[in-house]
Amino acid sequence: MEDERLRKVSSLQSFISRPELGSVFGLAIIVVTFMTLTSISGTFSAMWTNPIGIQAWVELAAFVGILAIGASLLMIAGEFDLSMGANIALAGHSFALLLTFGVPVVPAILITFIELAILGFIMGTIVVRTGLPSFIVTLGFWFASRGFAVFLSQTLVNQSRLSVKPYLKPPAGGGEDPTLIDNIFAFDKAFGLPFDAEVYYFVILVIITAFMLHRTRYGNWIYAAGGDAQAARAVGVPVNRVKISLFMISTCLACLLGVLTVMTSGASDPKAGDFRELHAIAAAVIGGCALMGGYGSVIGAVLGALIFAIASRGINFVPFIDNNLFRVMLGMMVLGAALLNQFLRNRVLRG
Amino acid sequence: MTATIQLRGVSKFFGNIIALKDISFEAHKGEVTALLGDNGAGKSTLIKCLSGVHVPDEGEIIIEGKPVKFSSPRQAAAAGIGTVYQDLALQPLMSVSRNFFLGREINKGFFLDLDRMSKITRQEMAKLGIDVADPNQPIGTLSGGQRQTLAISRAIYFGAKVLILDEPTSALGQKQQLEVLRTINEVRNRKDIAIIFITHNDLHARLIGDRFTFLNRGRILADGGRSDMNTENLRSLMAGGAELAELEAELKN
Repeated sequence: MEDERLRKVSSLQSFISRPELGSVFGLAIIVVTFMTLTSISGTFSAMWTNPIGIQAWVELAAFVGILAIGASLLMIAGEFDLSMGANIALAGHSFALLLTFGVPVVPAILITFIELAILGFIMGTIVVRTGLPSFIVTLGFWFASRGFAVFLSQTLVNQSRLSVKPYLKPPAGGGEDPTLIDNIFAFDKAFGLPFDAEVYYFVILVIITAFMLHRTRYGNWIYAAGGDAQAARAVGVPVNRVKISLFMISTCLACLLGVLTVMTSGASDPKAGDFRELHAIAAAVIGGCALMGGYGSVIGAVLGALIFAIASRGINFVPFIDNNLFRVMLGMMVLGAALLNQFLRNRVLRG
Repeated sequence: MTATIQLRGVSKFFGNIIALKDISFEAHKGEVTALLGDNGAGKSTLIKCLSGVHVPDEGEIIIEGKPVKFSSPRQAAAAGIGTVYQDLALQPLMSVSRNFFLGREINKGFFLDLDRMSKITRQEMAKLGIDVADPNQPIGTLSGGQRQTLAISRAIYFGAKVLILDEPTSALGQKQQLEVLRTINEVRNRKDIAIIFITHNDLHARLIGDRFTFLNRGRILADGGRSDMNTENLRSLMAGGAELAELEAELKN
């Protein structure tokens, strides 16, 4: 295609335009910082080589990371879901209540997922039909979900914390073995795997959603919905359907965590997932998602979740720094990441 | 030669307001039909009737000899009407090739065929005289004129027989305006596309137009071919002839 009449368009160094660039540096800084700090306080091996130490931050990263997948997809499409953490409690209570009323494990899980998907559909529909900011709509559900979960379990069984241990144990006289079913959803113990099931779900979900976002039509539409919704509609992108489906993905991710938490701990907890939506949004922002939409990546959110988890757990391995300083540090990190990402994004726009 | 698109007595009313009255004009392939008029002349309403956003209340639209009726922009696009709006309907943070194919992506199996989309984007842009070295770069790195070219080549690639350009030069700097005019000329040279060029810039219309239609207050004020129009004529029609003379007289006093 050599033609002297063609006007050249300068090519851009592509790495600069990657949304997760900032969080790669961030992760490197955090790892080096905590390796240094733990070396000083003699806890290096406890955090970085001891299996229990590694579990501590890897499992937290997976838990926050699963929510951060949903948070980043929604943020790329220009929306928020503040109700994620509360929906973990709602899903957990729904699942535990269904077990209490004698529903077998698999149908109980399916029904819970359907309930949460419907909740996502309702929130998404309210957002796209009314044009209210999703911040307000999901703030409403942030109150409502947890309140409703506790109300239900207190009214129906007069308890706010439901133990499900009896329903997950194998029946004495043989027959159908629920541990098999248990294995499917919280399979780590059955197979003697080193990490909680969340970690494996997280890895699988990241691979699926990253491919979906960058290599499928649906992913393209997510970016377009958050970039310029009017322009996207003009070329036939079903913006409303894309947004509603993302709210459903977000509530289903919360549902997965809610069910897994109940299975691992043996009880539903009204405080499950408290503040996790904010941690997930922080991870997404650290990972380079633009708050106004149209820009970001799932990989960035993963790095953000890792940064969050290493800092969050690492502080326990460094006795000479006060635990409360962690929040200060996290806050500064979110601010710094937002600034850095804004700077990088402007470079992309200006070329 | 049959006109590629022809309007016969098209009118559009909004309540008791006459937005368009008895508009008739035609556009031929390989020609630029310049549609001129001041703000409020009815240019936008006319484009919306052509591109399926509004349904005309009277008259008919004929494409290649067949009367058509559009009830949605999608139908108009399927019939070969490619409209490039002023805001271009582009995503600033998405890549050139993803913008080109947004809403009409090419799949290979379950995944996007990014290589093919990049290749086609580069080829199609080159046809209009722009070499995009890397179709994966964000569109924010293109100039205003280059973006206009992208929107035009996208419309053509997806089957536009009639290309409607809504004020393509008005939001651009001097140099980029010329770049867009050059692009329009490239499209004309293909000889298979009728171009409707909406503008209020008489200089641009004179440079590139083959036929001229003047709208004023929802009606056709004048129309004709290149030979019927001289600069003076154009200018006075744009300014509304008599009104200009009036102003001139006022200013002299």
